[in-house]
Amino acid sequence: MNTTHSPAAPQPAHAPRLAGDLAIWIFILAELLAFGVFFAAYAFTRASNVALFDAEQLALSRNAGALNTVLLLTAGYFVVRAVQAAEHAADRIAGHWLAAAIACGTGFLAVKMFEYAHAFQADISLSSSPFHMFYLSLTFFHFMHVILGLVILIALWKNVRAGRYRLGDMNGLETGAAYWHMVDLVWLVLFPLVYVIH
Amino acid sequence: MQKQTTPDHGPQTHGTPRRATFQWIALILATLATWLVGQTGATGTAIVGLLAVISIWKGSVIILDFMALRHGPLLWRALILGWMALVWAVIGIAYWKALA
Amino acid sequence: MQYKSQAVAMPYFIAAIGLFVGQIIFGLIMGLQYIIGDFLFPAIPFNIARMVHTNLLIVWLLFGFMGAAYYMVPEEAETELASPKLALGLFWIFLVAGALTIVGYLLVPYETLAEMTGNNILATMGREFLEQPLITKVGIVVVVLGFLFNISLTVLKGRKTAVSMVLLLGLWGLAIFFLFSFYNPDNLVRDKFYWWWVVHLWVEGVWELIMAALLAFVLIKVTGVDREVIEKWLYVIITLALVTGIIGTGHHYFWIGAPEYWQWWGSIFSALEPLPFFAMTVFAFNMVNRRRREHPNKAAVLWALGTGVMAFLGAGVWGFLHTLAPVNYFTHGSQITAAHGHMAFYGAYVMVVLTIISYAMPILRGRAANPERAQVLEMWAFWLMTVGMVFITLFLTAAGILQVWLQRVSDTPMSYMATQDQLMLFYWMREWAGVMFFVGLLCYLVSFFVKGGTATPARA
Repeated sequence: MNTTHSPAAPQPAHAPRLAGDLAIWIFILAELLAFGVFFAAYAFTRASNVALFDAEQLALSRNAGALNTVLLLTAGYFVVRAVQAAEHAADRIAGHWLAAAIACGTGFLAVKMFEYAHAFQADISLSSSPFHMFYLSLTFFHFMHVILGLVILIALWKNVRAGRYRLGDMNGLETGAAYWHMVDLVWLVLFPLVYVIH
Repeated sequence: MQKQTTPDHGPQTHGTPRRATFQWIALILATLATWLVGQTGATGTAIVGLLAVISIWKGSVIILDFMALRHGPLLWRALILGWMALVWAVIGIAYWKALA
Repeated sequence: MQYKSQAVAMPYFIAAIGLFVGQIIFGLIMGLQYIIGDFLFPAIPFNIARMVHTNLLIVWLLFGFMGAAYYMVPEEAETELASPKLALGLFWIFLVAGALTIVGYLLVPYETLAEMTGNNILATMGREFLEQPLITKVGIVVVVLGFLFNISLTVLKGRKTAVSMVLLLGLWGLAIFFLFSFYNPDNLVRDKFYWWWVVHLWVEGVWELIMAALLAFVLIKVTGVDREVIEKWLYVIITLALVTGIIGTGHHYFWIGAPEYWQWWGSIFSALEPLPFFAMTVFAFNMVNRRRREHPNKAAVLWALGTGVMAFLGAGVWGFLHTLAPVNYFTHGSQITAAHGHMAFYGAYVMVVLTIISYAMPILRGRAANPERAQVLEMWAFWLMTVGMVFITLFLTAAGILQVWLQRVSDTPMSYMATQDQLMLFYWMREWAGVMFFVGLLCYLVSFFVKGGTATPARA
């Protein structure tokens, strides 16, 4: 709230504290559950179609997948820097970090769209094979999450520039940041699972 | 739930910029490792185990430091880390089933 | 009562309860027809009893939702209702049209009714739950649009809260999705698509928003917890409900000729449909535990908590039981579906309407809460109806499992009717559980007339 804590003041021992709202964490848990079920469905469907999955996986671009991983991780890092800057009341700098994160996230979307354009040219669709069904479903479901994450980051960027967050009153920023990191976390399983493991 | 009512938390909840930067570099290097494995086309139980370990390690950096659950309640830390472990356990079982 | 115009909710609530009684009577008749096939034949054949049972349910829930909106919206918007006269006029139109439709079902053969009501101009009749004659359907649209106009204007001129926005979103969705009932293509697959876009997107989509808004309103009132906290939960619940509900429509595309990937999309997202209900349960208990006041209306608090639990069980758990494509392959359209339908409708929508009635009725009658004795009787009604419904669900589930086993899984499958003979024991037990439910309903009716020594004076 209206704390007068200065960042340099000696710190008392801290009780465990959930960064972000309880409601968003319940939501994150629900999201992870949804992706978890999808991953399990992929893995077990692959187990009964190994040759097909391995052959069609080979046609994916691992370069694009790795580039996207780097973009998401970098965006996540920038969000962390933004939160740290806001804790030190450096709103302008926090805004810059968030803008950089938004740029990386947008880059992810661009790379993904090139991948999709390529796939559609090759007549890949939800009905063309079980692997394609999972590849398109999983990545598109994640794609939608990146878009939502970007909307949240843009809202945070506006708020940060308006100086809405302070040490001790970081709830909104931490809530949005936690969501973005969830989107990142899911991709860290998706990339090796769908693009690499065979 | 409501607006943060405990003013007693310091900057270290979200770590220092220096630490975050090192972690970011390590995460990128780990990604390159996964990519490299993909490029060589290597496979087998050991390789899949390695990829799982890399993914879990990367995930735990996100969970503990980026999401700041290192300083969060045990329950939530366990839930999210547990999700990561469970997902890879299931993928492992399915992979093993595919080999058999 | 804070605003005079909230009083228009009262006739809606009374009509809802009246039709509820009718619904249960037809339920009991039909339950007996499962056992004694020609009971009341030819006066009330099974298909007519079933139509009356389900249509009455839908109509009385609509009365309940409208009454709830008329009660809640002025209080949320902090202004009088735009037009109480319109609300009262629409009430009578809806009641008369609804009653005439039911009388039509009972007295005229269905095909004659279709001829009489212009089904040859635009064929909309004959589809399960949407059996209403064309003129009734048009009447529903007119009434609902008038109602939406009234409450939307009220919200626009007054305070806009998350609760009233979610309620409006749900009610507008209800109206818009109903329009699909006017389109009845010849192609059977396409016909099913449009049919599910009414039926599914109502009960597993927009009605959940209405339910969440009603529950949130009552919880704000009885617990005194900050609106801000309750609204946050509301956002989480409606997001989960919409995402899982809309994509979960896929669990109706498994066997109707839709592309195969729907088996995955439908299974996975509908498997997650319990989540919004789970969130509602956590929400209700969390808010009651953090209450800042002891509201004198204990019965309303009980209904609110009951809604959380029973909706999760009926809609969530019993829905999940048969939603995965490989399971549904065997259980589709069996008594397991009936078990889920009963507990889901009771736990989610019946109970949430009874929650708001329980909270609002005493206030509409000029007191904060009913006298102690009336509340005790109402709580008896709660337990009798709820336990009765749990038994109905369990017996139907048992019947369904046996049915699936004998008729579909077995190496030497039995015919449909031969299987039905094997289920008689469960049908008898279900009928007695239904009687228990009816006794609970009678207690509920009586509780409105119990007078106590000292009535609690109304606040504000």
